[in-house]
Amino acid sequence: MSGHDSKYFSTTKKGEIPELKEELNSQYKDKRKDAVKKVIAAMTVGKDVSSLFTDVVNCMQTENLELKKLVYLYLINYAKSQPDLAILAVNTFVKDSQDPNPLIRALAVRTMGCIRVDKITEYLCDPLQRCLKDDDPYVRKTASICVAKLYDINAELVEDRGFLESLKDLISDNNPMVVANAVAALSEIQENSSRPIFEVTSHTLSKLLTALNECTEWGQVFILDALSKYKAADAREAESIVERVTPRLQHANCAVVLSAVKMILQQMELITSTDVVRNLCKKMAPPLVTLLSAEPEIQYVALRNINLIVQRRPTILAHEIKVFFCKYNDPIYVKMEKLEIMIKLASDRNIDQVLLEFKEYATEVDVDFVRKAVRAIGRCAIKLERAAERCISVLLELIKIKVNYVVQEAIIVIKDIFRRYPNTYESIIATLCESLDTLDEPEAKASMIWIIGEYAERIDNADELLESFLESFPEEPAQVQLQLLTATVKLFLKKPTEGPQQMIQVVLNNATVETDNPDLRDRAYIYWRLLSTDPEAAKDVVLAEKPVISDDSNQLDPSLLDELLANIATLSSVYHKPPDSFVTRVKTTPQRSEEEDYPDGSEAGYSESSAHAPDSGASPPTSSSSVPYASPKHPAATQVSPPPSAPAPDLLGDLIGLDNAIVPVDQPVEPAGPPLPVLLPASTGQGLQISAHLARKDGQIFYSMLFENNSQIPLDGFMIQFNKNSFGLAPAGPLQVPQLQPGTSARTLLPMVLFQNMAPGPPNSLLQVAVKNNQQPVWYFSDKISLLVLFSEDGKMERASFLEAWKSLPDSNEVSKEFPGITVNSLEGILDRLAASKVFFIAKRKHANQEVLYLSAQVPRGITFLIELTMVAGAPGVKCAIKTPSPEMAPLFFEAIETLLREKDDSEVHRVQTRIHELL
Amino acid sequence: MISQFFVLSQRGDNIVFRDYRGEVPKGSAEIFFRKVKFWKEDGEGDAPPVFNVDGVNYFHVKVAGLLFVATTRVNVSPSLVLELLQRIARVIKDYLGILNEDSLRKNFVLVYELLDEVIDFGYVQTTSTEVLKSYVFNEPIVVDAARLPTLGPASIFMQGTKRMPGTAVTKSVVANEPGGRKREEIFVDIIEKISVTFSSSGYILTSEIDGTIQMKSYLTGNPEIRLALNEELSIGRGGRSIYDYNSSTGSGTVILDDCNFHESVHLDSFDIDRTLTLVPPDGEFPVMNYRMTQEFKPPFRINALIEEAGALRAEVILKVRAEFPSSITANTIQVQMPLPPYTTRVSFELEPGAVGNTTDFKEANKRLEWGLKKIVGGSEHTLRAKLTFSQELHGNITREAGPVSMTFTIPMYNASRLQVKYLQISKKSKAYNPYRWVRYVTQSNSYVARL
Repeated sequence: MSGHDSKYFSTTKKGEIPELKEELNSQYKDKRKDAVKKVIAAMTVGKDVSSLFTDVVNCMQTENLELKKLVYLYLINYAKSQPDLAILAVNTFVKDSQDPNPLIRALAVRTMGCIRVDKITEYLCDPLQRCLKDDDPYVRKTASICVAKLYDINAELVEDRGFLESLKDLISDNNPMVVANAVAALSEIQENSSRPIFEVTSHTLSKLLTALNECTEWGQVFILDALSKYKAADAREAESIVERVTPRLQHANCAVVLSAVKMILQQMELITSTDVVRNLCKKMAPPLVTLLSAEPEIQYVALRNINLIVQRRPTILAHEIKVFFCKYNDPIYVKMEKLEIMIKLASDRNIDQVLLEFKEYATEVDVDFVRKAVRAIGRCAIKLERAAERCISVLLELIKIKVNYVVQEAIIVIKDIFRRYPNTYESIIATLCESLDTLDEPEAKASMIWIIGEYAERIDNADELLESFLESFPEEPAQVQLQLLTATVKLFLKKPTEGPQQMIQVVLNNATVETDNPDLRDRAYIYWRLLSTDPEAAKDVVLAEKPVISDDSNQLDPSLLDELLANIATLSSVYHKPPDSFVTRVKTTPQRSEEEDYPDGSEAGYSESSAHAPDSGASPPTSSSSVPYASPKHPAATQVSPPPSAPAPDLLGDLIGLDNAIVPVDQPVEPAGPPLPVLLPASTGQGLQISAHLARKDGQIFYSMLFENNSQIPLDGFMIQFNKNSFGLAPAGPLQVPQLQPGTSARTLLPMVLFQNMAPGPPNSLLQVAVKNNQQPVWYFSDKISLLVLFSEDGKMERASFLEAWKSLPDSNEVSKEFPGITVNSLEGILDRLAASKVFFIAKRKHANQEVLYLSAQVPRGITFLIELTMVAGAPGVKCAIKTPSPEMAPLFFEAIETLLREKDDSEVHRVQTRIHELL
Repeated sequence: MISQFFVLSQRGDNIVFRDYRGEVPKGSAEIFFRKVKFWKEDGEGDAPPVFNVDGVNYFHVKVAGLLFVATTRVNVSPSLVLELLQRIARVIKDYLGILNEDSLRKNFVLVYELLDEVIDFGYVQTTSTEVLKSYVFNEPIVVDAARLPTLGPASIFMQGTKRMPGTAVTKSVVANEPGGRKREEIFVDIIEKISVTFSSSGYILTSEIDGTIQMKSYLTGNPEIRLALNEELSIGRGGRSIYDYNSSTGSGTVILDDCNFHESVHLDSFDIDRTLTLVPPDGEFPVMNYRMTQEFKPPFRINALIEEAGALRAEVILKVRAEFPSSITANTIQVQMPLPPYTTRVSFELEPGAVGNTTDFKEANKRLEWGLKKIVGGSEHTLRAKLTFSQELHGNITREAGPVSMTFTIPMYNASRLQVKYLQISKKSKAYNPYRWVRYVTQSNSYVARL
């Protein structure tokens, strides 16, 4: 070849495009090839060379594969913008797909699949059909992927032309490369389809496990990932799967190792033999550690995964803590993750070594890393009681270096240590006070102030110390103001002398009249009222014993951990977020648990940033904007009655919201209660987020909906439609949603009627909803119909008629189900709850130590449920037997009854508790 | 599966850009580069290799000063993508001989052809140079290596080996030598990266060896090869914890914690006589990776001392002793030590007669740097530095300086004592006797002495 490709980048004096045009039509092959190269060069640097389309396509008919590939590359790029001209290439494509040279056949289908132009796609089907059955494996493997391409363009075509069946046949192909691609294609198609298309059966399982041994490393990953969705029937099958996957742990490719680890972890859940499990843990440890010898990028992924794995199975790496010690040349993102794992693996046995490391890290250069190391020492103190003292002495040593940010970080963690071990380490307060003047970060200041307030009686000059902060009260950030307020109240209650009394006047005045911050004002008023009505009660509240904290920072919620463990070796396991929170493909969103909105409240302003995010700034949008306890925008301060005139008995009631009476009953819109589940996340709805839930009120079914417009444009003209469903639920009237300006939201209660558009077939809970507006495409999402909203008010039966009905129904109409995980503690409680949901109590009897309850319920069209609940109060396990004329409804019924039995009515209590903690 | 692949220069220029699925908006390369460049406001600190911006997931690795990037919208296996990016870099290097901005630009057509065979619709097809040879038709335009500073592992063998062709590792696997005839040769490199942390009193706190047996074959006809390792080689610490170093069985045994192998390696006789059998594919690839925490003799001992010498002064003494045989020479040694932040001036004092030493005080990050061209086994070198401070000391000076870190390369030396006893090439004819190069090199990974 002549010269260097880079010459193609040089420009010429004459108009570039005409010159190229001329060269493309040259009679000399070499000249044409050079010209196409120049065109591609221009294309890659972003120049528009689409006007040369015809001339380039003319070069397509050539035996020269090098040139052909270049032309194809060009076609893929520009066909979309020149769909009419792209047709010119069709003939050559079809001809090429029958070329004797397999490379050309494969190239033709591969390229056609990349051109997303309908007219080309039409012509793709026949060649694709042929190529899927080609003699040459290279052609078949290319065709397999091409089916996925076609499915992305036109799913119906793929299903109609039977390509899915051909793909499934290729799973049994004798060439492992073909098998791997067929698996990859089927997995992708399944991912985007709601119908079951590719389900791994025990038969495919064994075929794929065999192919695994012969596949390329990448094919092994495709196959392992597809197989990880397989649920083994029993422990024996799980063991035999694991046995065949374990050799993959020795692979040099990290992706193979991690995918194998995922598969093994998943099957381990089923394995009951502790010996086998222990053995597997032992086998997984060395390969996991070896991942840390790979490039730092891979190390990072491995560490994020290991973080999850050790939360579930701490024994795997319990003895390997040394490999997580930071190297000086580790990138910062690796160091941060190692630190996190070191904390998780720290134990009484290795804590001395670990502390030595942390101490070393705390004197390094990178500020973020140093801070995290200091915090790590504190977290170990909280985690390991026996090591707490050693941790504290290291912290004190670090404070003495007097590096400003180290000192501040140390004070923040020491505050947590005090919370964990009250009345144990106060002797160090004097040392802390020496650094008082240097504190300039809000969190550190707030922590120090908390310590002074909490131990005011032991610090001789506590009032002086606090006073020194008070001067700047109005300028302090809210976090510090809140702490100053609380600390001053504590001081006053502990030392009700003249000085503190004056201070409290100043603070309360500052925090009520002279502030715009509703949180601060609310809290100040509560204290004010408490202090002015009953100082003893104030003492009980403010100086109450605080719940002991544990190191739960960065500890994942068990259900989230489960989900993430199922997603080991995927992005989800790196972000520590469930896939649907960052994958923005059009798919039905599973309902998120509402608990997330109520994280465990530690002290106000102290909640160790669970928002710790190594991926901060890049973190994917979360589904709901949760502002857990922030008070709603408060009306003007004047509305609050002056403290002294407040009625004495109802001290906290109306402010905290204990009293249910303040929830307006008659107001149809704005139902209280937990937030609605998000059904259409903003990431899917181009900024429109819809949350909704079926509800029953006064015998009427409503669809309670919340629309939030996070897009940049106003949205209006909302309409709603429901697909046929088992109960024929349909709107009773039009959807009433006003125009939504960007950033605003609207709630509505849509009245619903039954039996409008019934879906045939056995009853199921699926409710498919379509919502449209004038600005966006139609959005589809699905919800669940719970029988709870269908139970009617007139479902109560008399004893006699219950007995009669029970006898009259044949035994075949009786269905029962066990709920082993449910414990009923109070019969009254459960009966109240059931009655509130229109499941009515009829009689009860005692059988040995068991309670047997009889109840009835009814859904529209007179379908009754005769219910027998058997349980032992206080012990887990509830058995529910029902008789009903429509036994096909039983699964739905059990789902509803389980919700009722499980529902812990503590969300309200919980919120009140957190509110009270905030005050302390 | 991935959506796009691109290569950016250090300045953020697009060198290669290939979109496989058309589902990520066009500006992704700019978004990515801005994000990485300004990950932290101060421009310091590396972005993590995986992050998400507006629903697009970005993966990147740095190879030879270039950013290899992939994007996707779905929940893929991140280790697959990152490994893939490394492999793409390796394949391109196999083809071009040298991987840098210049060689990529000169060979962009070839690179695109490779990318089309490596990935289809976002799915990896193959990253084996051997397999790719049957589908890729463009010929590489070899960039003249002599004009370029050699990169990476290529340069580490330059010293201490006899008759080693200087450009050997930088030549393309597929391109023909000038003159048309390929030289029959095979390179087996045992590369070990060692990490050691010494406590202030000179104890070894942690030590570790990450090793690779790397192979690059230029043999025609892909003959079978047998590699024999130490017979006394055991794998797995048998459940013993990392803490009991002393229980190593016998002195001659090399105990690896773990190892893994390239897929072309047959391990049939490995358990019996520790030989590996393989038909090496073309291109550079790791035959075996291994990891060892068994006690070994660190090649260097570092003694570091910092002492106050008056209110605004202190003295640093650094001693480096080479504990390997005098027949071996380490090269490109760098010793670094962070000094207290209020250090204003440093004056250095080397031993009389020291040659090839450089000393420097990096004002910006307050760091002492001591460079030595080479260190002969058994020798000891000392540096004294007098520090002047702008403010009085408070507290313990050893907490504000250090630790001392060291980088080096030692050709023909390996700390693990793992050896290739012989390299056998199945013979086609009596006359067939290709060149065989078995080379050892030890490099520092994290070599640190605390104060």
